[in-house]
Amino acid sequence: MSLGDYLRLLRARRRGVTPWEIEEATGLTKGLYRQMEQRYRAMGDDDSIRILADYYGVPFDDLRWRLDWSRKALNRTLLALALDQRPLTLHLWNGQVATGAVVWWDLGAVALNVGGDEPLIVQRHAVERWSPRLAEAHATHDGAGEEDAEE
Amino acid sequence: MAENLWALREQKKISVATLANRAGLPIGLIMEYESGQRGIDPRHLGRIARALYIEESNIKLQSDPRPGAAPLERQPAWEAPRGAPPPPPAPPASAPPPMRSRERPVRPRMEPRPSRPPRTPIPPRPSQLLHLENVLKRLKMTVAELEAEIGKPIAGLDRGAFSTLLKDLQVKMRETPLPTRHRAYLPESVDEFEGRYLTAAQAAGDLLHFTLFDGTPATGVIVGFSPYSITIRDAAGAEITLNKLALVSYRKLAGGQEPVR
Repeated sequence: MSLGDYLRLLRARRRGVTPWEIEEATGLTKGLYRQMEQRYRAMGDDDSIRILADYYGVPFDDLRWRLDWSRKALNRTLLALALDQRPLTLHLWNGQVATGAVVWWDLGAVALNVGGDEPLIVQRHAVERWSPRLAEAHATHDGAGEEDAEE
Repeated sequence: MAENLWALREQKKISVATLANRAGLPIGLIMEYESGQRGIDPRHLGRIARALYIEESNIKLQSDPRPGAAPLERQPAWEAPRGAPPPPPAPPASAPPPMRSRERPVRPRMEPRPSRPPRTPIPPRPSQLLHLENVLKRLKMTVAELEAEIGKPIAGLDRGAFSTLLKDLQVKMRETPLPTRHRAYLPESVDEFEGRYLTAAQAAGDLLHFTLFDGTPATGVIVGFSPYSITIRDAAGAEITLNKLALVSYRKLAGGQEPVR
């Protein structure tokens, strides 16, 4: 689960406190929290993550490692593996592991051919980590999911 | 106290030409006013005063000649010297008038410049080719159709022409928005491909098995979905709305198949 997804989950557990209220309570720069939650690329730095870890009462490391597993990074891997027709393994938040060829993906979900007639539709916000992990893959892609929703 | 025009002009440190230009009067007329050959026409007085930024009353209507200056002379009319042959008879009205001395002489025709060698067309950038490919995909057009539309082959276009073509196609693309184009507002919301999948599953009445974050399973057919939730009807006929954020995964179940945990 990317940092943004995890922050959204934590916020949901706080009964939906708004990003603006969090920014006001923590003193974060205006708009930063919303960007950390919603942008597909890694947003935020150690200082802002530490502030949010204090706010939510979770360990700093539990937030920090997620910054390196952004949605954008998953896009690169999905693209490369789809082009090479190599299988992808997704480690999901509930402990489930799904391995298979990428059928399609968009901004919200990934369809994996895990065997059988029907693909498994995995919600991207449930993806904790994946393998193989590719730092940089092919440069451009015309399919869905390559760009940020707001970029 | 009124002063001579030439004195006022020199005080302002401007030339006769500048004064004439500012006042909108012929330069020769200004010179005649300054030399005293002619009194300033009252109709021109205001213009000259404004051009010099002074009051009309400051200007003498009849200037005294500048001390030591030769009287302004006009070019005398041409007269034939004594004993010279009489001038030629006037040409007929249809003939072109003879060239006057003030007209510019005809310049000798310049040698034509050697023509530049034709420029080598610059080929389009690879990014332009890729962009065209993507735009055609969006417009659901083939290269052949595009070539028929523009009336020339794509291969013959240089970089500039390619750029113009891409601009035109982008305008066309904006004017024909694709109904499937969709971008999720929030990351967990239903996006394009998942939307298609859910729509097809709903239309077919497929049975889906959902796994939630807390481990709760849910199985049913799709009644409907919104960007942030999916509503299903379970075997007992109860409708359950599942929040997208609470979902981990889901999958269609074949007839009689057990849910995958």
